[in-house]
Amino acid sequence: MTLPILPTTSVGSFPKPDYLKKARAQAHRGDIKDKKLRELEERATREWIRFQEEIGIDILVDGEMYRGDMVTYFAETLKGFEISGLVRSYGNRYYRKPIVVDEVKRLKPTTIEWFEFAQSLTKKPVKGMLTGPYTIMDWSFNEHYKDRRELTLALAEVIHEEAAELEKAGAEYIQIDEPAVSVRPEELPLAVEAMGIVTRGLKAKTLTHICYGDFEKIYPGMLEIPVDQIDLELSNSNFGLLQLFKKYPFTKEIGLGVVDVHSHVTESKEEVVDRIEKALEVFRPEQVYVDPDCGLKTREVQEAKDKLRVVVEAVKEVRKGLVSARR
Amino acid sequence: MLTISVVSHYPKIGDSPEEQLLRRSIAQLDRKEITEADLERVKDGVTRIVIEEQVEAGVELVTDGLIRWGDPLTYIAGKIEGFRVTGLLRYFDTNTFYRQPICQGELKSPDGLVVKDFQFANTVSSVPVKVALIGPYTLSRLSQDRHYKDPEEFGKKLAAILGEEVKRLAQAGAAVIQFEEPALLNFKKEFSLFKKIWTKLASYFPEDIEIILFLNFGNLEGLYPEILDLPFTTLGLDLASQPENWHLLGNGAFQKKLLAGIVDARNTKMETEEEIREKLERLINLASPEKLSVSPNYGLEFLPRSAAKKKLANLSRIVREFREAKVKA
Repeated sequence: MTLPILPTTSVGSFPKPDYLKKARAQAHRGDIKDKKLRELEERATREWIRFQEEIGIDILVDGEMYRGDMVTYFAETLKGFEISGLVRSYGNRYYRKPIVVDEVKRLKPTTIEWFEFAQSLTKKPVKGMLTGPYTIMDWSFNEHYKDRRELTLALAEVIHEEAAELEKAGAEYIQIDEPAVSVRPEELPLAVEAMGIVTRGLKAKTLTHICYGDFEKIYPGMLEIPVDQIDLELSNSNFGLLQLFKKYPFTKEIGLGVVDVHSHVTESKEEVVDRIEKALEVFRPEQVYVDPDCGLKTREVQEAKDKLRVVVEAVKEVRKGLVSARR
Repeated sequence: MLTISVVSHYPKIGDSPEEQLLRRSIAQLDRKEITEADLERVKDGVTRIVIEEQVEAGVELVTDGLIRWGDPLTYIAGKIEGFRVTGLLRYFDTNTFYRQPICQGELKSPDGLVVKDFQFANTVSSVPVKVALIGPYTLSRLSQDRHYKDPEEFGKKLAAILGEEVKRLAQAGAAVIQFEEPALLNFKKEFSLFKKIWTKLASYFPEDIEIILFLNFGNLEGLYPEILDLPFTTLGLDLASQPENWHLLGNGAFQKKLLAGIVDARNTKMETEEEIREKLERLINLASPEKLSVSPNYGLEFLPRSAAKKKLANLSRIVREFREAKVKA
């Protein structure tokens, strides 16, 4: 399928509708069966796929209605992991941090079934969504491997298997998220090496999402990450990164985050148009994909929809300008 | 000798429903189902429990677990007039976050930041209580200063505020006060600024108080032994995940008191008896046992509560056996 210029997409997660949040809590307490929960996860996935089609997003995501934490989700199906007790991340938010207790192995797929389900609902491409080996390592306790490097490289092999199977299942876009990469600049070479293993031999378009970052510390080094596209949160930093990209050209495709996912307020179309146009002073249009800064799962359903809508509307506006400029 | 201690925070909740009271209560306050006063009572109760858990695990100098602290900075900054607390930032290389304080006016401290917390903990604890505070340098370095517009003036102002607090705490009966200063190991080039801020801080120290400078999130390379010239009693160090620190301490006699963080509070992997004993042997070669105490290398909130408890109990069992063996010998 050919994509329009400035294809629109999303980073991965969408908010879970209230009926699903309730069902997840019930399932956790054992009050409803897994089958019932699964039905509701499928319903929510259908609703999000339909919404993305309706507003005209170009590359869809399944919204991750069935995932909790992005690392724990993988740890639950991989062999070698145990799930620990609750650890606080901030405020009153806690998560179950995985523990590596044995050699990491992939005995069964993690994401394939949901990818196939979501792709069966639409003719538009759906992204395969993976968490990268460096981030899984950094966000887990390690009781088995000698050091961080050994664990990261072991995880890279199993995530590669998953990526290869996603490709076989028809994924044209495979996103491997590495939000932890920006935290320890001295370990960037390890993350690069691990990503090389994950994307080895893939023909699908590969991309990675990085966030929370002090990007200045890992740029331009992060351009070495062996993927076709890097997706970045630019709104959160008020597009300050663009100065950096003027200095050292951004040599890959860029996923351009143009709406802030941490704010309840939906940006106006004019604001988003302005952000895209600013970015186009630095990037060639062919290089740019447009999306929100990060996953939208912490927003309310309506806020997330409004933010996605404004992304699409702003892109349409900018496209008009690009077409007329070329005439 | 070889006192068994902790660093600062303790997991606020555990895995059982009873252990999750605080989490539920905060959610209830958000929904306005309970009052602030109700939540304070819950925090008192949880503080009492986590002190008991530390004592049961064999800790001989406990903290109140910092149950009331939302993050390492804002509990203190939030109480100081002139600070506004804003967006979330990552705390060093952890997967935890803090709200960044912004200084936008003359800073003015209330009469007591954690004095009441100390008094409460001291009343309910059957063993001595250490006060754990964030250091003035780290507090200034991780905040934004839009008022003083001068790192030295800003840092010294915070040193004065925390120094006054030390005096009040001492009057309230605190004998051990610890400042964590992780920012120093991440911004080593600012050591001379750090020294100025700490000299100001020390001008408030009463006699007969033990002041611990705890340095983690890095190693001392480039700062040791100069760091020992600063006015504090005890140096706290990560001697679990930073082999470089052992290297720097070398074999010579250690000049101050040492709080050795020999258990890794950032990984669930349990230390073996051999590992801990080997470290204890190395420690008693560095300093006489009266000058030594041991703890994890960080506060315990990076671990699930069950793992934190196990690590403390493991450390304390091995240290006690070690001490007995040495006494007999």
